Amino acid sequence: MISRRQFVAAPALIGPFLIGLGRKTDRRIAGGFVNDSFPLGHRLRDHGAFRAPTQQLRVPVVIVGGGMAGLNAAWHLDKRGFRDFVLLEMERQAGGNSRWGESDVSKFPWAAHYVPVPAKGESLARELFEELGVFRDGKWDERVLCFDPQERLFINGHWQEGIEPEDGASPRDRAQYRRFMEKINEFRASGHFTVPMEHGAKPSSLDRMSMADWLAQQGFDSAPLRWYINYACRDDYGALARDTSAWAGVQYFASREPEEKGPLTWPEGNGWIAGRLIEKLKRYLRTGDAVYRVERSRNKFRVLTEQAEYMADAVIWAAPTFLASYIVEGAPRAEGFQYSPWLTANLTLDRIPERNNPEPAWDNVIYDSPTLGYVNATHMSLATHIDRTVWTFYWSLAEHTPEEARRLLVAKDWDYWKEAILNDLARAHPDIRQCVASMDIMRIGHAMARPAPGFVFSKERERWLKPAGNIFFANSDLSGFSIFEEAQYRGVEAAKGALRLVGRA
Amino acid sequence: MSIALFLSVFLIAACGLIYELIAGTLASYLLGDTLFQFSTIIGCYLFAMGIGSYLSRFLNRGLVARFVSIELMVGMVGGFSSSLLFLAFAYTEAFRLVLYVVVILVGTLVGLEIPLLMRILKERFQFRELVSHVLTFDYLGALGASLLFPILLVPKLGLVRSALVFGIFNAGVALWSTYLFREQIGRAQALRIGCFVVLAFLAAGTLFADRISNAADNSLYADEVIFSRNTPYQRIVLTKWKDDLRLFLNSHLQFSSRDEYRYHEALVHPGLAALPGARRVLVLGGGDGLAVREILKYPSVQNVTLVDLDPEMTHLFSTHPVMSDLNQHSLTAPRVHVINTDAFRWLDTNTEQYDFIVADFPDPTSYALGKLFTTAFYRLAAKHLASGGLIVVQSTSPLFARQSYWCIVQSVKEAGLRVYPYHVYVPSFGEWGYVIGSFAPYEPPRQLPSGLRFLSTNNVGELFVFPVDMQPVPAEPNRLNDQVLVRYYEQEWKDVAH
Repeated sequence: MISRRQFVAAPALIGPFLIGLGRKTDRRIAGGFVNDSFPLGHRLRDHGAFRAPTQQLRVPVVIVGGGMAGLNAAWHLDKRGFRDFVLLEMERQAGGNSRWGESDVSKFPWAAHYVPVPAKGESLARELFEELGVFRDGKWDERVLCFDPQERLFINGHWQEGIEPEDGASPRDRAQYRRFMEKINEFRASGHFTVPMEHGAKPSSLDRMSMADWLAQQGFDSAPLRWYINYACRDDYGALARDTSAWAGVQYFASREPEEKGPLTWPEGNGWIAGRLIEKLKRYLRTGDAVYRVERSRNKFRVLTEQAEYMADAVIWAAPTFLASYIVEGAPRAEGFQYSPWLTANLTLDRIPERNNPEPAWDNVIYDSPTLGYVNATHMSLATHIDRTVWTFYWSLAEHTPEEARRLLVAKDWDYWKEAILNDLARAHPDIRQCVASMDIMRIGHAMARPAPGFVFSKERERWLKPAGNIFFANSDLSGFSIFEEAQYRGVEAAKGALRLVGRA
Repeated sequence: MSIALFLSVFLIAACGLIYELIAGTLASYLLGDTLFQFSTIIGCYLFAMGIGSYLSRFLNRGLVARFVSIELMVGMVGGFSSSLLFLAFAYTEAFRLVLYVVVILVGTLVGLEIPLLMRILKERFQFRELVSHVLTFDYLGALGASLLFPILLVPKLGLVRSALVFGIFNAGVALWSTYLFREQIGRAQALRIGCFVVLAFLAAGTLFADRISNAADNSLYADEVIFSRNTPYQRIVLTKWKDDLRLFLNSHLQFSSRDEYRYHEALVHPGLAALPGARRVLVLGGGDGLAVREILKYPSVQNVTLVDLDPEMTHLFSTHPVMSDLNQHSLTAPRVHVINTDAFRWLDTNTEQYDFIVADFPDPTSYALGKLFTTAFYRLAAKHLASGGLIVVQSTSPLFARQSYWCIVQSVKEAGLRVYPYHVYVPSFGEWGYVIGSFAPYEPPRQLPSGLRFLSTNNVGELFVFPVDMQPVPAEPNRLNDQVLVRYYEQEWKDVAH
């Protein structure tokens, strides 16, 4: 009876499903590398050949670099009624780490994708968001506050809400979470951990050790807690806890106390902010205009690009600080500055993976993965039903030294990274290969400043904070780490310095 | 005699396969992933039959009595299997456990049947003949069951009744066996009493199948399914049992034709009748056209726009004869314009103004649906209200989900509107809640359209009175970035189910 019914029922019912599965697994995925910036970067570094400019323009202030720092410097100058400046960006699209893309499915970010809800003291950020219309009468526009559910973590074979590992956490782990948060609250109460950091930062012995050493010193040995803190360091600094200054590790947690559930985010991430600023400031902006040399001529500068030679009284250097030593005449090497390389990928899904419960969140993280997980671009859509989407996948390659990781980024082909990304995602989404239609990958060699132990309160960093003659440095790397608020603060401070110089303060 | 014997083989084979199919279908319906459910259920079932066949060697004396008891057990367990599974799904977290325990139990018992029967019959037939006959009828029974199941049983009887009916067959075979083999059993009378008891249970179960499935909340599969379709947006199921027509979206009851007039009259008239001269009406959700049917009772209304996500839903309620009878062909009326798109996005890209807006969305069972109950949504909807206009919101049950209900009220209020909460009793739903939002003060209407079945000028004011057990409770407003409503709702309905 057994064997007979097996013949009758089983193949008849299962057969068609298996045939169906077999056909779908070989899906071809389109895509390639996009926005590679290193060929141009290497030409600048190696003083490669550039065409001499044909025209000379007199412009009192030149801003070099159209990322968040440069855009905010321009925003400040314009706001103060100063119009005699240009903003030069080497890429075709301004925005830097806040660049974004767009397809018929959704807009999506290429790197920075959120801003924590600015607290009361963050007047500069609040001022900008008020101007952009998302902060009114002390209230945030609900549509730009990250929709519920914000985060989830794939752990022990399923998704849990939130990324602090709860699933499988022992009472001991929970006790350590609590003790860690108490510690953080003490640090917060000290007033030394602020956004922007310059407002409160005081030289601290924390900066002399790594976050991992500090955790060990404090007796924090819970595996999920350490994973969580390591994740935070990889996410914000592109570095493991053992390569991150303990001061910066604490800063990540202690500098924030949002009044509102957030963060602020948009389908295109911080590209929304960049886009709005570009729109406001387009008359100053020259894209695809790489500055290959800044020469001093008496108390002025000659800023050279292939399009023009700009004669300027002041330069705001909003590009990464380490580039100055290659381009600006007489600039010293940027000792101590380290940059984490990143890889981001935008995956277009024309099918939503199955077994995706609880509901997909905005930020989706896989426990014990070397990657940072993915952000869902359509999460901020008002629609109740989503059948196609874009995922932005983040990978900071933190387990390698930055140099190794950069070599790896250049050496491996698209197929290698595509497979690595799909294999990582397949842990949480077994059917991912049937859902992805295309995958574009962006490699960023010097993506974000890395606050290595000792750097934040080093003499090297301090030296670059002061303007070098009439050059005002503005990149967020001067804070030791690359986040929107630091870029904005540095950009605006540099703009204030430049205005004083040209007598328009 | 021998035909009668082999007919019982046919029947028990059919019963066995039916229970297996029911378990597989039910698990696929409730859990999804058909391949996995059918594959594991067939595997476990066949394995359990193996256990049963093995165990049969340990039964030595009184084989017929044993056979009869086993048939009765199969009848009971198999017959009530789908009821048990529905209830387990509705009320416990252990659906899978119950599922596989039932499958293994039934499988083991069914595995005992044929070996026992062959041993009982071995004296009457030659072995060669016996094996041939038993297996032939066994296969035939399986074929009959597998054809009957999708063609007749599921559509006509539903899963709950099908299982019970086949349980009756098992018990019937048991009873019949007490007569067929009367010379081989000593205490036939006692066994017969057992058979009648089991039959009585199963018959009672069949009669009360409605209640069982109602209690299980997902009652659709107990009734005749007259329409079932998975659209890209939802699973639409229509069932009919006698004169009761029911619509389910993703297993959630949307209406029962017996009492939907209470729900829809209460949804539309307290608001619209208070707006004499209202010309433009917007219905968000409500693809069944029943709210529109009520709206069309106002001659002053010139234009009704219905925005529903699912084109298959509005198509069904425009064209299906039974459905379009129920909504009195409202969706094909010249005054009515149907737009199939996402309501939130549509409102966001549109600047039209309306005198009356009806937000009739499914309950906030997910964060995706919860967006349609947020302060951001009501703020946007309020922008589409003409001066003096009203919005009415379907707001779940103020009795079963009290905090959820007051959370929705709070959310409408947070959007800058005055709120006028009210409720009505709909037998198939229980106490149900709505809230009217408006910029200007609102008063219940003094006149209503004629021909209403539930509302009258006498009772419309009473809807706004809340008994003590439905009075306001503190609740946060539901926001896009903090959907407290979805969490309240999940918790409260879980508490109701337990």
